[in-house]
Amino acid sequence: MTKLKLSGVSKAYGATLALRRGDLALDTGEVHVLIGANGSGKSTLCKIVAGSVRPDAGEVLLDGNAVTVSGPRAAQALGIGIFYQELSLADHRSVAENICLPDLPRKNGLFVDREALAEKASRYIALFETVAGGSLHATATVGELRADQRQLVEIMKALATEAPILIFDEPTSALDRAQVDRFFEILRDLKSEGRSIVFISHRMDEIFAIGDRVTVIRDGETVGTEAIAHTSPEAVIRMMVGEQEVLAAPQAAPPPLQASSDVALAVENLTGVGFRDVGFSVRRGEILGLGGLHGQGQSALLKALFGAPPARAGQVMLNGQPLRTESPRAAIAHGIAYVSGDRGRDGVISGRPILENVIPIHALRNRLVLARPRSLSEKALPALKALNTKFAGLSHSIGSLSGGNQQKIVIARWLIDKPDILLLDDPTKGIDLSAKADLFVLIRRLAEEGLAILLYSSEDAELLNNADRILVFNGGAVSRELSGAERTRYNLYQAAYEAA
Amino acid sequence: MSRVIEIAKNPLLIALALIAALLFLGNTLSPGFASGGQILRLLIVAALLGIVAAGQNLVILGGREGIDLSVGGVVSLSAIVAGNVMNGMDGGIPLAILACVATGALFGLFNGLGVTLLRIPPLVMTLGMLGVLQGLLVVIRQGIPSGRAAPALSEFVTRPFLLGLPGIIWLWIGVGLLMAFILHRTVFGQRIYAIGSNEQAAFMAGVPVRRMRVALFMLSGVFAAIAGLCLLGYSGSSFANVGEQYMLPSIIAVVFGGTPLSGGKGGYTGTMAGAVLLVVLQSILTTINIDESGRQMVFGATLLVLMLFYGRGRGLRA
Repeated sequence: MTKLKLSGVSKAYGATLALRRGDLALDTGEVHVLIGANGSGKSTLCKIVAGSVRPDAGEVLLDGNAVTVSGPRAAQALGIGIFYQELSLADHRSVAENICLPDLPRKNGLFVDREALAEKASRYIALFETVAGGSLHATATVGELRADQRQLVEIMKALATEAPILIFDEPTSALDRAQVDRFFEILRDLKSEGRSIVFISHRMDEIFAIGDRVTVIRDGETVGTEAIAHTSPEAVIRMMVGEQEVLAAPQAAPPPLQASSDVALAVENLTGVGFRDVGFSVRRGEILGLGGLHGQGQSALLKALFGAPPARAGQVMLNGQPLRTESPRAAIAHGIAYVSGDRGRDGVISGRPILENVIPIHALRNRLVLARPRSLSEKALPALKALNTKFAGLSHSIGSLSGGNQQKIVIARWLIDKPDILLLDDPTKGIDLSAKADLFVLIRRLAEEGLAILLYSSEDAELLNNADRILVFNGGAVSRELSGAERTRYNLYQAAYEAA
Repeated sequence: MSRVIEIAKNPLLIALALIAALLFLGNTLSPGFASGGQILRLLIVAALLGIVAAGQNLVILGGREGIDLSVGGVVSLSAIVAGNVMNGMDGGIPLAILACVATGALFGLFNGLGVTLLRIPPLVMTLGMLGVLQGLLVVIRQGIPSGRAAPALSEFVTRPFLLGLPGIIWLWIGVGLLMAFILHRTVFGQRIYAIGSNEQAAFMAGVPVRRMRVALFMLSGVFAAIAGLCLLGYSGSSFANVGEQYMLPSIIAVVFGGTPLSGGKGGYTGTMAGAVLLVVLQSILTTINIDESGRQMVFGATLLVLMLFYGRGRGLRA
């Protein structure tokens, strides 16, 4: 019996179409898996069901009746509970208060009923008693818990809504094996009670362990729904990739590296927050891609190589010499450059002139004391020109530019004195297509000039089109290296989605 | 039209217009208020405040809630140190200058280390330091005499030196030029703005953020100490808490001059105008017989009103 049905749901954010045509039929008493690549529209679909996003078009049917989920409270009233991927916990409040937050037990209609609160919370804590660890108790402050415990609290919070429809958007990312197993037992109990569960995960093993049916979303469109029993991980990945892509020839072979090109950066057993035991080497003239799902350690690795913050263990060799980067300042002195995709946070010196945004690295590497506008302008202009940057004057504020041009300014600061290693951490995030094209032309030219480049991109096509080799990250480690003809979308997805 | 509004919003022009208006008002209330000699006297007082505000300006520009509440204590301590070192003799002046600069730099270093290494918010750190300094002043006052200014120092502050202006006015002009040079023509100055407007981006661009902050607090201490030395020359002998009156006005002058408390933008030219404005305002309040407590209230209220206009703008959006 169909409990919840979405048909032809769409949502655009400005000019970006996040969801083109979302369909989903959720039965009573099933665990329904939703899967799709980065940015395919899964989370948007969930947010529409949960009422935190209003669809532009399409229909939502609950028990066969058309409903409008006008907001989170309306969703709650309709019997829809959600676990958010970005945890939505109040850090300074207790575990019990967080668990019961969507529906605090009240006394006399006004006051929080402390006893009922503690009683209700302890019921849900008890569910995970064997795997949660002793520090997770009703009166503990959420902000003091470990990451996995916080995720468990968020799960308890979703369970405590006691809603007939529960949505879990990547609920297991921080959990260990035993915690996942216990969570799955609970999901099976809920299923047998007749509750309907939407489950989003990127782990094939989990999907096949808990799911009844799977719906695949690709580029904002529902591609199809299959019964788990009648499909395989390979078939699901084929659906995610699309038939043409599976058959597509790999990208043209990278230009052959000169025989003289030597290893610029070699990394062994590098371990830090978010990644472990990573090893690879990059030669001069090479673009090494880092692929995989979001947040599998790619960004953390690049930041660690730049010293922000440094890795905890392992070895880095730069041009054959051991390297220890304690800070960005030290990394810059060794000829390492880093471009963040989060330019508002890590790149742009807001409210300051374009010139001041271009020259800090030049000033640092040349130990400049005086800032002479004329001589600095002479340095800055060629770097800006190399990227086709459009601006009215160097003394204008960087805030007057478009996002793409701001990012070009941030990148240009590394071009005045050429680095040896260029670390690109999702550099095209949120910039326009022409700026992206300019950027990739420049990156290839820099490689030809002898730079070693590491490129992480959340857009798989960018990696497939621009990287000479791709390291696929999964759970903080490199799960596979793709080179030459192996660099296909299918292989990339398979390596990204298989069990870590 | 919008250009006219844009110009009218310039803090420097607002301050200059207000100064002119206040001088006119003062002259109406008490004829002779805006006479040449009187204006010169006001400028000397403004120079003392302006030199303290230079350091305050640097700390505030550096952002991250940067503020130095200990400047008043450093001014007082510096005046006492200088008075005791020179003890009325011209020959002691060079040593007194060294001792003052060292004192200011030392307390600035403490402030800077507390803020960067111990991560104490600047407001709390410098307020605590002010308490320490006040206690120290009481102890010192009981043990040693307050000391006297050397004649040459008093002359430097009060007697015309060049073009009819006393040395301290020239010193202030020098501080103004130095500040403009530092802020707009040195890498250090650009880094001050960089950490003030986006500390994380500055860090990722290799700016030594902590060292910068320590340096800013040290400069603030040094500027306050120099002001303390000049204040000794102005009043002849020092007394405890002589510098207390500088804390709030130094902050108001900076904010009036167009540097928001959130930092990252503004400069010293506006602060100079702000310092003159405050001194003129103070003088008018004295002229119309408003006592010290009343003046304090007016200053406090002025800061609050200023915050409404430009103090908070960026903080809300950032």
